[in-house]
This record gives sequence, structure tokens and C-alpha cells, in this order.
Amino acid sequence: MTAIEANGLTLELGPFGLKDLSIAIPEGEMTAIVGPNGSGKSTLLRMISRLQKPDSGEVIIQGRDAGAYSTAQFAQTLTMLTQSKGQMPDLTVREFVAYGRSPYKRLFDRMSEEDHGIVNWALTLTGTIRHENRMFHTLSGGEQQKVRIAMALAQKTNILLLDEPTTYLDLAHQLDLMEMLQAINRDYKLTVVMVLHDLQQAAAYCDYMIAMQRGRVVHTGKPRELLTPRFLQEVYRIDAKVAFEDDYPVIIPIRSGAKPKEEPPMIIVTNTSQITKGEAHKLIERFDRVGKVEYMEGFLGLEVHLTENTKEYDEVSVVTKWRSKEDFQAWTRSDAFKESHAHRKTPEFIISNKISFYEVKIVREPAAVTGESSNAS
Amino acid sequence: MMDLAKRTSRRRWSIVISPILLIAVTCYGLSYGSVSVSLREIWEVFTSSGEPLAQKIVMNLRFPRVLIGLLVGACLAASGALLQGVMKNPLADPGVIGVSAGGGLAAIMCMIVFPNLSYLLPILAFAGAFLTSIIIYLLSWSSGSSPLRIVLAGVAINALIGAITNGFMVIYSDRVQAVLPWLSGGLSGRSWYHLSFMAPYAITGLILSLFAIKTANLMLLGDDSAKLLGQKVELQRLSLILLSSLLAGAAVSVAGLVGFVGLVVPHAVRLLLGDDYRFLLPLSIVGGASLVVFADTIARSAIDPIELPVGILLAVIGAPFFLYLLKKRGVANA
Repeated sequence: MTAIEANGLTLELGPFGLKDLSIAIPEGEMTAIVGPNGSGKSTLLRMISRLQKPDSGEVIIQGRDAGAYSTAQFAQTLTMLTQSKGQMPDLTVREFVAYGRSPYKRLFDRMSEEDHGIVNWALTLTGTIRHENRMFHTLSGGEQQKVRIAMALAQKTNILLLDEPTTYLDLAHQLDLMEMLQAINRDYKLTVVMVLHDLQQAAAYCDYMIAMQRGRVVHTGKPRELLTPRFLQEVYRIDAKVAFEDDYPVIIPIRSGAKPKEEPPMIIVTNTSQITKGEAHKLIERFDRVGKVEYMEGFLGLEVHLTENTKEYDEVSVVTKWRSKEDFQAWTRSDAFKESHAHRKTPEFIISNKISFYEVKIVREPAAVTGESSNAS
Repeated sequence: MMDLAKRTSRRRWSIVISPILLIAVTCYGLSYGSVSVSLREIWEVFTSSGEPLAQKIVMNLRFPRVLIGLLVGACLAASGALLQGVMKNPLADPGVIGVSAGGGLAAIMCMIVFPNLSYLLPILAFAGAFLTSIIIYLLSWSSGSSPLRIVLAGVAINALIGAITNGFMVIYSDRVQAVLPWLSGGLSGRSWYHLSFMAPYAITGLILSLFAIKTANLMLLGDDSAKLLGQKVELQRLSLILLSSLLAGAAVSVAGLVGFVGLVVPHAVRLLLGDDYRFLLPLSIVGGASLVVFADTIARSAIDPIELPVGILLAVIGAPFFLYLLKKRGVANA
């Protein structure tokens, strides 16, 4: 069963937008959403929880369109722990957690026996009942986070979203929180979805992982199967090894000083034209008008070389550098490129024309020269 | 922020003290003035066995004035408490951010242009106050409203409305005499007639404000949290703005521009009892009512026979307090 389904979510929101994003999140499991900063993870959570409207696309919660729920119904089905703590009114822990019952209360309803029972349950489950009469703001960050989770639990929803729940906590509190969430997930079949930055924790505690990059989902699956050096290179652009120490995943970054710095291969496309003597400037001028290459994805740079060493003709080479051959081909298929090449005959001053591709590997710091202090990159 | 034991004991005390305070300040308002009336005489007046002069002074002059003072203070304080919650801004006060001025402008236009329609004053004052608060809210909105922008927009709108009001008075300078005392805010000469036209609005507003307690509390948690707890935040915010405009409008329609009550009282209560609206709102109402009657009594008896408008006295108390708050909290919250 899927607890949450999203189809074609799109949002224009500067760098944090989403592009035609579709996901299915399994019911009753722990799901981690990971990805670099600014990949749209929090935006996705905010859309699922109806805090942010998408430009287009739909969210389906437990088989029903999210928009079809009434406000109160929705708050009884799904809730979220936001990143911002908001204002902190001076409330006791118990008073704070009792707010979790609001979706079930009308204006003048008082707390019933049942409500008090549920608040007790949430306080006990999170281990915060011993603080119930302390003021919320006097607790440590880790305890406050647990109290906020207790409030969410008191809402008695089937789905709990958490936006970076461990970010400001020390390691002990982080692990404590993850253990607690896992126990609640197992004992009560609560669907837990969280944005996490710690991949190791994500892999250790979650059943399912969604990796995002630039507003798109790039990988989904079981975290242990996903977590490979290739995944780390693709999603985070880092070189690292993945090991399992006592069944706990460990990511070991390969430091740039530890091996020759190797950049991904690059494609160099050289377009060499032989031009009637003295007319090379015409081609160079013309090139200014060729379409929008600098906006293309994977474009790394452009150079124009002029050689005047033969008596018969001049040679002009237009060299573009690309991350991959596909990126170059995407340019030649782009509207801007077609536009600039349409209705245009090869001018007479071009005698011949040749295009060549080179795939090159760049090694900027060869091992022989690399001393101990060479990790300045 | 205070600890639980202190908060609990203060809240208990406040419940005991509130009615005592109200009765005390009412007696004070009834007995003091250019002619002193003893408590015993007041008692006799209410049991209808008093002497005619005391009867006249208390029933015809002081009693309606005290009642109006109580309602005006209660409305302004409740309005301020709600505005501070809804705009998430400790400096939001109907007087400071121009809501009262908006109500005032509408009321002045009514008084000058349609002097016969004075029974419409509260509605018009409410409409003016409401329109102003909506304008301020929209002006300060840019993907969420910030406390600083609300105050800046409010101060600017306040100045603009002040200018329009002055312009109006210059144009209709022949009829200004009736409006002038009203502008500085005061209860001088207010009688049963004034009470009868403002009381329905004031009492309705005050009762409705009790319905808003839960909503206002949830809003303290922040918009996102309130939404996730199943609240229709935008709708609730609009209705709270409407309500605080109704309250400010009711007060303005009879007392004119009485400032700072909505700022000073909720804040003092907040410092003593915390942010919880279950205590903040009722206690602000009691505090505001008491403050206005108390200040009005001083204003009319301090430099006898001259009667100071109560608005001036309150501004003298309120302005320094406002600066104190600005220094203490405004910067941190901006």
C-alpha cells in the first residue's frame, strides 16, 4: 500500500522548485528523503502537508486527493514537524502536547478523559512525561524536539512527516531520536517520512530512501542497496567508499589529498573551418550569433582559434567543451541552435569544414608532484 | 518567561483581584470629581434613597461616564491584545498602527458631513478601522508578514490618515468646533445617549473576543503549526482582524482617539501572566477598563476646574512605555 503518492508536482520557486516530480511512499514504513542542500526536499514535504501549493500536479494521501480532505480531517490524517521552531509561547510540556488534540476539538470543547489519555500516551512514548510540568522553553534542544514529536503523536495521525528532525541535536540525541521514531513506527505502524542529512542514519534506520537532486527524484529504493560509491558521486558529487561496520553503514570520504585529483572526463568538440585568406573575421563575427550555447546544461567553455600559417587559407577552430557527448548533442537539437542555423547557406568563404570529438581525462595534480600539503583545492 | 509556580500563583491571584479592581475603580470614578460623593451616598443613590443632588451627579453625569469608560478601556485593550496576536507583533496597537485613526477619520467625516446620522458612528468607525487594518496587512505582506513591516506600514498609514483628517478639518473649518475635543480623545460630557449607541457594538465585540481565545492561542504557535493542527489560518486571521476593528471602532466612536491603552495593558498583563489568551484576554479587558476609568477620573479632577481629555493623560503614560517596549522587544522580534 502507498501512504502518499505524488504525481507531476511542479513548482517554480527559485532554486528550491520541483520539476514534474512523482513519488510513491510506502505505508507503515520509515522513509528517508535525502539529497544535497537546495534539492527541494523540504519543499516536497511542505507540499505533501498542504503548507505549499504546487503550480501543478497532485498529492494523494491514503488513496484520496489531499485537497479533498477538510482542514480538520487532514490534520487527523497527516502532520509534520517543521524545521522552524516558530514562536515559543510559555507553556508547560503537557499544555504544549495537549495542542495536538486541537484537530478533534470544536471551539468550546474541553479536554475529555480520552484526550488526557492520549496526551499521557504521547508523553510516555517519547519519554517526556517526567518533564510534563516543566516550562517548554527550559528544556534542552533534544528534549524540546521530543516534546514536539509528542504533540504530533497526540494528533493520532497515520502519517508523520519530519523535516530534518535531528539537525541541531548532538549525536547522542540524534541516535536517541532515531531509535524512538523506529520503535514508534514498528509498534504503531505509523508511516514516518523524514528529510535527513545523515545518510548513515538514513540507511541504518529507514526502510525506503528517496534521493533528490535539483527538484527531481533521482533514485529510490532500499537504502542499503542504494548507498554505493556511484550513488554518492551522482547525487552529492563526492568520492567515497561505503563500508558496513557491525551492520551499520559507514561512508568514508576519499580525501582529495589522498589520491590524484581526477575530474570527470570531458568532451572537446572542435569545429575546424578552412577560410579564404583574409576573411577569417567574417566567420568569427558570425559565430557571435550562434544560439545560446552558454545556457546549455553540461557546457564547460568555448574558445576560438585562428591560425594564419598557410598561404592558401586561414584556419579557424571553434572549440567547445562539454561534460558529455549527450550534452553537446542536446545543444544541436535545441531550438536556439536550430533557429540560428535555419535559412542559412554555407557562405562562400568557407572552403572546407571538419568536426572532431575528443574525450579527455584531466589530471590536474599528478601523483608524483602531490606532496602532503596538496589538498588545497 | 517565568517558571510554573510563579505563573500559577499569579494567575490565581489575578482571578481574585480582577472583580475587586473593577468595583474599586468604579467607586473611585463615581465618588471623585469637582464635588465629592462619599461611598455611603453612592450606596444610597443605588438603593434610591439618596439626596437629589447626589442622585443627579451620580446617575446623570458620573455613572454613564464610568460605564462608557469601562467599555472603552475594555474594547481598546481587547483589540490590542488580539492585534498583537494576529500580527505577531508586540507593538501592534490600534492607536499606534493607524487602525483607530482610520476609524476616527470615518467618524469625523460622518460628524462633519452627516451630523444627523450620529447613530451610524460606531458602524462607520468600525468600517474605517477595518479597512485600515486590511490595508496595513496587505501592505506589509510579502510572502508572509513580518512584525517590522507591519509597524512601518502602520506608522506610515497613520501619518497619511492624520494628514487626510487635518485636510478635512481645514476644508470644513466652520464645523470643526464640534469635532475638536473628540479628536484628542476624552469622555467629557458623555451621557446615557452615547452609552446606548456604543454599548451594543462594544458588548458584542467583547463577547466575540472570548470566542477568539482558542484561535489566538493556536496562532502563537506560528502559521505552519496552526495549519498542521487543522486551523484555517487565513480565515481566522481575517476574522480576528475584523473583530479587533469592531472593538477599536466601538471605542473610537464614542471616546475619539484614545491611544496606548491597547498597547500598555495587554503588555503589562503578558509580563505578569504569560501569553496564554485564556488569561491574557480577560485580564486585559479588566485592566483596560480600570485604567481608562482611573485615568479619566484623574483627568477631570486633577486640575479642577479644567478638565483634561483622558487621551492626553494616557498618552503621557503610554508613550514612554511604548519606547521602553521598542527598546526591549521590538528589535529582537523585527
